Amino acid sequence: MMSWSDKLAGRMPETLAREIDQYQQQIELKKQGKVDDKLFQEARLRRGSYGQRYDNGQRHDGIAQRDLPFQRKELRKGPETLWDAPGMQRIKLTFGGFTPEQMEVHADIAEEYSDAIVHITTRQDTQLHYVHIEDTPDLMRRLATVGITSREACGNSVRNVTACPKAGCCGGEVFDVSPYAIACARFLMGHRDAQDFGRKFKVAFSGCPDQGCAYTGFHDLGFVAATRPGPEGTLRRGFAVYVGGGLGPVPYQASLLAEFVPEDEIFPVSQAICRIYGRHGEKKNRGRARIKFLVAAWGIEKFRAEVEAERRKIPQDDAWTSWLDDVPAWSEQPSRPGAALAADAGDAAFRDWRATNVKPQKHNGYVIATVKLPLGDITSWQLRQLADISRKFNNGHCRTTVEQNIVMRWVSEGDLPELYRELQRVGLAASGANTIEDVVSCPGTDTCKLGIASSRGLAATLSEIMKQRAASLDPAVRALRIHTSGCFNSCSQHQIADLGFYGVSRKVDNATVPHFRVVLGARRDHNAREFGQTFGPVPSKRVPEFIDRLTEQFLAERQGDESFPDYIQRIGKKGVKPLLDELGQVPPRSIDRTLYSDWRDPREFNISDIGIGECAGAVVSTTEFDLQAAEQMHYEAQVHLDEGDFRKADDTAYAAMVLAAKGLVYHENQDVPIQPDTIVAEFRVRYHDSGRFHDPKAPTKFAEYLFRRHDDRDRTYSVEAARRVLEETQHFVEAAYSCYARITERPANAATETAPAATENA
Amino acid sequence: MSSHQTGELHKIGVKWPAREQAPLDLLDLIPIYHRWISEAALPDLLIDVAEYTHVPHGPGVLIIAFEGNYAYDETGGERGVVYYSKQPLAGDLAQRLAAVARKSLLAGQRFEQDAALGGKVGLAGDRLEVFSNDRLAGPNDAVGWALLEPAVTALATRLFGAGKFRVERASPDPRERLTAIVHVDRPETIDTLLSRLA
Repeated sequence: MMSWSDKLAGRMPETLAREIDQYQQQIELKKQGKVDDKLFQEARLRRGSYGQRYDNGQRHDGIAQRDLPFQRKELRKGPETLWDAPGMQRIKLTFGGFTPEQMEVHADIAEEYSDAIVHITTRQDTQLHYVHIEDTPDLMRRLATVGITSREACGNSVRNVTACPKAGCCGGEVFDVSPYAIACARFLMGHRDAQDFGRKFKVAFSGCPDQGCAYTGFHDLGFVAATRPGPEGTLRRGFAVYVGGGLGPVPYQASLLAEFVPEDEIFPVSQAICRIYGRHGEKKNRGRARIKFLVAAWGIEKFRAEVEAERRKIPQDDAWTSWLDDVPAWSEQPSRPGAALAADAGDAAFRDWRATNVKPQKHNGYVIATVKLPLGDITSWQLRQLADISRKFNNGHCRTTVEQNIVMRWVSEGDLPELYRELQRVGLAASGANTIEDVVSCPGTDTCKLGIASSRGLAATLSEIMKQRAASLDPAVRALRIHTSGCFNSCSQHQIADLGFYGVSRKVDNATVPHFRVVLGARRDHNAREFGQTFGPVPSKRVPEFIDRLTEQFLAERQGDESFPDYIQRIGKKGVKPLLDELGQVPPRSIDRTLYSDWRDPREFNISDIGIGECAGAVVSTTEFDLQAAEQMHYEAQVHLDEGDFRKADDTAYAAMVLAAKGLVYHENQDVPIQPDTIVAEFRVRYHDSGRFHDPKAPTKFAEYLFRRHDDRDRTYSVEAARRVLEETQHFVEAAYSCYARITERPANAATETAPAATENA
Repeated sequence: MSSHQTGELHKIGVKWPAREQAPLDLLDLIPIYHRWISEAALPDLLIDVAEYTHVPHGPGVLIIAFEGNYAYDETGGERGVVYYSKQPLAGDLAQRLAAVARKSLLAGQRFEQDAALGGKVGLAGDRLEVFSNDRLAGPNDAVGWALLEPAVTALATRLFGAGKFRVERASPDPRERLTAIVHVDRPETIDTLLSRLA
């Protein structure tokens, strides 16, 4: 029978195919008990395969915590994660780029492996839920055929590189950052200097300093397009570089590292930043491990000095500039000629949609149309239809947005009525994009292990209420934005909302009541220049009333054209407190039970389903990954021998020893070249000659196995020789593991700190 | 090779279009589904409820199970009771299809009998859809149809009797799931259909 691997052979880059094959082997090895839980967890997280609520096999039904009777309870995907429990698959879309072909593959895999829903995240990714781990290799293969990888979508790695969805079409941009975002994603993905982080690392590109689209202000590394005068009246392209921003429980504004870094320097600078973060960033206390804490602790001046010093040390790499030749060639072509819209076009519904969902584009006759997705969700069928519509109207130039929508760029303005009708036909013509109806939400308690309250339930309810009232809302209120997060980790980015909410709980009447803490008055312009202020909590079921009354208060008390953020700043906590106090009074259950359950979840509320967050994963060093990969290569070598290919078995086993040695050398020298001669020479000096490779209590010369095989240039291959080198490889890899354990051993009384859980999107 | 990559058709689904005596608010299903999970009211290992009432013509409200998903879905603009498998099934294709049909009927029985629904929901009974949810093992092309059609005919014969139904392919669009529609001459009760699958 044909497999997806057979069917898609040759339809994806060789390296990607091999990576996915290796991942599938890891799955098989894990099932055989040959891979450690922690290592497998980080390995799958780095491929975007994530845990989901109830995957510890426990679920509260509103009365008591119950066991979910999974059969293979001993088989795990991670320390706390049962193998059979379905999980989430995150998929990276660089700068949100989403072609019709990619939409179609998404539609297929969502139907076959998930629940026929594709969810757009607040970092321009997509997510599929309820996916079984054993389906993930095929899912990845199918994505790889349309140029998508989920590599490093989770885990302690460089996550999706995001950018303004209007890049290239925006009249206010300095230049189109799209080719830079792509090049950056390619440069940093899998880069060896970006593998030793204590936590995730997020990069964003903005085309201008003024607007609020890419939000570089809360990214670990942010690039804002800039130019400087060049020779002969030309303009030299580059970026203002920001570092150390982040949301999470306590948001940090990014600091300006450099006002202008020329385009040919952005990658070496990024590499230096990664090295500094990898070397000095916190590893043990996960709650303090983001780069923002390092920048804050050192101050930007010291951080800058360290980066500059590191930059001078990094060996030249052609990859820093080889991509620059492709930048001028970057362009997008429309499918139809630009044309003006007829003055009397469309009915009232069309005009309302056009008013909220269509924005001008810098190219004459073209506009950007937003497809508003409720809660960021789109069905498989809709996605296929959208692929066709996009081919017809805008030559496939679509991008996901951090507001969980999809924008269609390069739409001829004259085509808008026809486009609207087509979108209407497939249920994608909802108006109100980026208004109070367009509520942004993280998954919350629906699927997230860390969720405290039902952010999606609240968001769905608020969307419905606001949609019904949209026509009668004051424009100043309709323009507000609502974001709801299930917990303090900020995955909905509630700190940049006008009306932000994050889930908390309160004990009342000997029971737990879902609440949302209120975050008000952010300023999104200038790449999120000011985060919202945090106010007190409101019972979950009273959030709609809170919004109604606060917005009524705003309209009644605003001075002239005062904006909502200005109003919130003026009235301060004192001005909001009376409303919070009033709504915060929770009656006993005997009087009103409704407050004791959450939106769209009838179970009596409790927080016992909260699990251990996986987005932080486990800190697994590059050396540990190399050792694991070496072990896997040894397994592959055994397979080659079993299949009668003793020559390949012999060479693969040798490569495994070199890889294990490289892992140890890398622990001390990040710049170790990849040539076996250099690796073996460095290994000899650092580990063999120093005596550190050998267990002092059992000094066996396992290192000799590597040296002997390495020096055997005119090797005579045979079954017997292959068998022997396989045995030796096994001992060598084991010895490398032991050596690494000894050299990284901490004193026995060293405290192990338990970190607060943290998540992906913030 | 994992059982998930065998290349045989195991990911199969059955949808029974619904007949609503009075309009059903899909949100009313949420507490019912939670209760069904607590009571283990359906054959699979029931895990959670997923609600997608906000998307038009979507999967509606689902119970996510380890072996597959149960849904009261709205795909194609028509509501119906759906079950589709996500794990390998035992037996040959006809047996797998019968197992999936049985689970979908048991779900249908729950909808008909649950007191909280007050008899609002039943199966129309004049049609069912059988679909391949695997574009490798059961693609929407002539080869896939040649595989699925005999198995669907065998299932329909078992359920309704020879010559008492008509099978047609829903859509030739190769991107959509391969789906067979079974038009039934005379609807049968769920109890009868279940007894014929026993």
